[in-house]
Amino acid sequence: MSAEQKSLVQVRNLKKYFPVSRQLFSTQRRFIKAVDDVSFDVLEGETLGLVGETGCGKTTVARTILQLYRPTSGQVLFDGVDLASLQENDLRKMRSRMQMIFQDPYASLNPRMTVGAIIAAPLDVHTRLDQKEKRDRVQELLKLVGLNPDFVNRYPHEFSGGQRQRIGIARALALNPDLVICDEPISSLDVSIQAQVVNLLEELQNRLGLTYIFVAHDLSMVRHISDRIIVMYLGKVMELADRNEIYLHPLHPYTRALMSAVPIPDPDKARNRKRIILKGDIPSPLNPPQGCNFNTRCPIASGRCFQEDPEYREISPEHWVACHFA
Amino acid sequence: METLMRIKDLHTRFHTQDGTVNAVNGISYAMQAGEVLGVVGESGCGKSVHALSILRLIQIPPGEIEAGEIWFAGRDLLKLDDSGIRKVRGREIAMVFQDPMSSLNPVYTVGFQISEALMLHKGMNKNQARERACELLNLVGIPEARKRLDNYPHQFSGGMRQRAMIAMALSCEPKLLIADEPTTALDVTIQAQIIELVIRLQEELGMAVMWITHDLGIVAEMAQNINVMYAGFLIERGNVHEIYHQTRHPYTLGLLGSLPSIDEAPGTRLISIPGLPPDLIGLPQGCPFYARCAFRADHCRLERPELEEAGSSGHNVACWRWREIDAETLRKSAGGAQ
Amino acid sequence: MSTQMPEVEVLTDFAVREHRSLWLDAWRRMKASRTAMLGLVVVVVFLLSAVGAHLFWNYDAKTDLDYSSKLLPPNLVSSTENPNVHIFGTDKLGRDIFTRVIHGGWNSLRVGLVAVGISLIIGCLLGLFSGFFESFEMNRIEKLVLMSGLGLALGLLPAWIASQWYQTLLFGGLGAAAVFVEKKLAQSKLRPVLFAAAGALLGGLSGLLLAPLVGLVCGVVGLLIGLLLNKPVNGKAFSSITMRVMDILLSFPSYLLAIAIVAFLGPGLEKGMIAIGVVGIPVYARLARSAVLSVSQKEYVLASQSVGEGHGRILFKHVLPNILSPIIVQATMGLASAILSAAALGFLGLGAIPPEPEWGAMLGDSYKFLSSGAWWAVLFPGLAIVFSVLGFNLLGDGLRDALDPKMRTK
Repeated sequence: MSAEQKSLVQVRNLKKYFPVSRQLFSTQRRFIKAVDDVSFDVLEGETLGLVGETGCGKTTVARTILQLYRPTSGQVLFDGVDLASLQENDLRKMRSRMQMIFQDPYASLNPRMTVGAIIAAPLDVHTRLDQKEKRDRVQELLKLVGLNPDFVNRYPHEFSGGQRQRIGIARALALNPDLVICDEPISSLDVSIQAQVVNLLEELQNRLGLTYIFVAHDLSMVRHISDRIIVMYLGKVMELADRNEIYLHPLHPYTRALMSAVPIPDPDKARNRKRIILKGDIPSPLNPPQGCNFNTRCPIASGRCFQEDPEYREISPEHWVACHFA
Repeated sequence: METLMRIKDLHTRFHTQDGTVNAVNGISYAMQAGEVLGVVGESGCGKSVHALSILRLIQIPPGEIEAGEIWFAGRDLLKLDDSGIRKVRGREIAMVFQDPMSSLNPVYTVGFQISEALMLHKGMNKNQARERACELLNLVGIPEARKRLDNYPHQFSGGMRQRAMIAMALSCEPKLLIADEPTTALDVTIQAQIIELVIRLQEELGMAVMWITHDLGIVAEMAQNINVMYAGFLIERGNVHEIYHQTRHPYTLGLLGSLPSIDEAPGTRLISIPGLPPDLIGLPQGCPFYARCAFRADHCRLERPELEEAGSSGHNVACWRWREIDAETLRKSAGGAQ
Repeated sequence: MSTQMPEVEVLTDFAVREHRSLWLDAWRRMKASRTAMLGLVVVVVFLLSAVGAHLFWNYDAKTDLDYSSKLLPPNLVSSTENPNVHIFGTDKLGRDIFTRVIHGGWNSLRVGLVAVGISLIIGCLLGLFSGFFESFEMNRIEKLVLMSGLGLALGLLPAWIASQWYQTLLFGGLGAAAVFVEKKLAQSKLRPVLFAAAGALLGGLSGLLLAPLVGLVCGVVGLLIGLLLNKPVNGKAFSSITMRVMDILLSFPSYLLAIAIVAFLGPGLEKGMIAIGVVGIPVYARLARSAVLSVSQKEYVLASQSVGEGHGRILFKHVLPNILSPIIVQATMGLASAILSAAALGFLGLGAIPPEPEWGAMLGDSYKFLSSGAWWAVLFPGLAIVFSVLGFNLLGDGLRDALDPKMRTK
């Protein structure tokens, strides 16, 4: 990762709190701190992996970058423009440059619309193509994602999960975006289909020069596709490093645990490794623990971790971590 | 080791409006007592249906177990009457399902649900059952088990619910535990907990475990033997080393190639299996994997291969060309430019 | 790594499920259900006979009278005593019951369609907008439309008092103004005062043109309206106000409310239609709102937002088509209950005005003769009600099964 590479997206102190409905007779207003002070850059042309367990805020980060949720505070600079401060109309113009691929291929396509209409929706909003041009573009996109261009008049329910995910990818690519946020695009698919989709995403990146933010809970797939990886836990960034660095020198105990939880498809290696099994579950983001967020499950937590929130700092060049013991 | 279960030529079909779905098409294998067997395949390959057929939990109609024998502890499960099979369910063969959210009844406490099974199957009284339920929750690693007995399922997290389901399954000390994708809905760290738990319980209690999954990575650590299924057929079977290191079926190779390894070099491409599993209505006459296979020959389209011994005893594969198959050729033929 | 896109993986092209639209799929499932098809047949027979009678079979209820043949039992062949064939018999005025049952069908159909139309359109629009703006922030233009609409509606009151209809426009403008100054006066404590004063002036000054007293009354009313309009309503508030009004409507027993409305409007078939329609509004509003709320949570709605689609497109291309199924089912069932309500109003003498043929009114006319053995005068209109209601209910049940998304997976 060369230092002079340009940042496409700069996320600065991003916070997103969701208010929890007040209980009767309670005057206190409570918040779920889904994303709590997160900062990072996305470099042009790279794939930035975002891993963490359910409820760690990774999907919220993705949606807040796209302003599908308006941030509570902080900035999202896209090519130098702060998206958080834009009005709805100016924002809509920016949307053509950043698109999203969704998690659930069954819920992310409108069952009442044909494949052609679904893929053409961004074209309707942002371009003035006529019917013929639109149809040509849709067919070109279908070919691009490895589907038969004759599928334009079919409905989503006629397709399998993997094929639907390809339709979702075609929709995201319709406007030639710079940034594509992949929000767990493979986690509901079979492994063999996951590999198809990941290969497709890699090919498209090479061909179209896309920048990806790849959100997932499976570290092995994220490591496969990403150049750099962010590990999140309870709304905070725990570690950020290059893919090899994070594999060879994971500094945060949570990263190490995630790494050791990845199933290894090799019986000898799988049996010989020492697993770090985390105790218990991720705490509720409504009542995050005092001090370090991870202290309830951390195997090495001690005194300081229960009082002080560790500083997120650069340990070695381009390797950031938030742990007292790093 | 003694044989615990022997399945012979099992056929299960579903008669639907669109035609007959051939979900399981003639599966035969044996399981030893205390064995951990991984059953692997994509969704729609018949792995869950075959497990449900063992317990006769197939809904009839539209389902039908057309033919076959399932010998378990000296009797054919398919010939038992209703009360006979009910005694097997839960007591001798227990099952854990994928979705921990809907497997527990939300209106009863967890403790009640476990002790009810104990009272029913083991004739315990209320206090004994409660004691035993508490022991079981302890066994599956739920902290403060005694307090947790009086909790309702919604007070449990997904991982804890799956533990509770396992506790319930273990309540009657079954000889065989069938786990149908029990970790698919869970996070990786919780998945690691559950795998660790099942390995520990299997060693402590000595029961046999059948672990159904679509991910060859999950079973590598715990299984002794692996069955690979495709389109309702058993297409490769062997011990873990044979399956992972001397893979003979191109489909199994594809499943392995689809998984990234944690220590791979940057830029490595995954070997995906192109296309989709075939429609189980109106299967092709030849090899079911023909359409997606990188090694296919004309012969494969015409005649369906039977399971045959490949290399060593106990390693069986259903492929005409298993002698010519290795990972390198597949990598090349998959077009994975590297 | 290869920079060339490899040839399309042709194999992803096959094994898609059979191509058919969702509606065709639903029709296929419905055909498989016998009760649904029975319902459909009954409904079609009812529709054909009612529409056919209206178009091709002249019948003048006012001149139809024949005391010589009153209360004749059904006879299928003509004889010397009864030269005319009355297959359903005749009623107390000697009218042929068969003719009146068939023509009564047209009236029932009319009531059903108009009443359901009223509740469907008003209820669905209310529910649609409530649900939608509960999930999505209103933008300025939408707020503007809502507030000026509210201003116009509230302005009707002083306008009616002073019979100066231009006053509604003044208050509509006041509503719009509230949106314009919302940002600028967000912190200002003066805003309510300002708006109250503006309202009082608008109403009072134009009232003064007529008389001082009118000016005073209009001024007070205008002041209250100004207070109400001072803060633009957001989506959540709009939804909760609408739904509370619906709750109030629902808390009346429906027949009682319909009777009250008819009593207010005066009897007559048209008034009955309006009464039954108004009573039905909350059902559709609630149904539409809950359906919209659940569809709004779907990922494809989020996807359309991420693409930059506007509210109009999201509402009409994504939300509306996906809430149609339950509404179609409800409307079919609603036809049955509207027919029943119309019959009830007719029976009480609050629906169709005699001698107009109407099933409920026919029952009401004839039940007194049951004791004297004239069973036919009650039985046939009764059967007509039973069959038409049953037909629509069976059809509705069938549609529910056929359109249920949970059944859609093979």
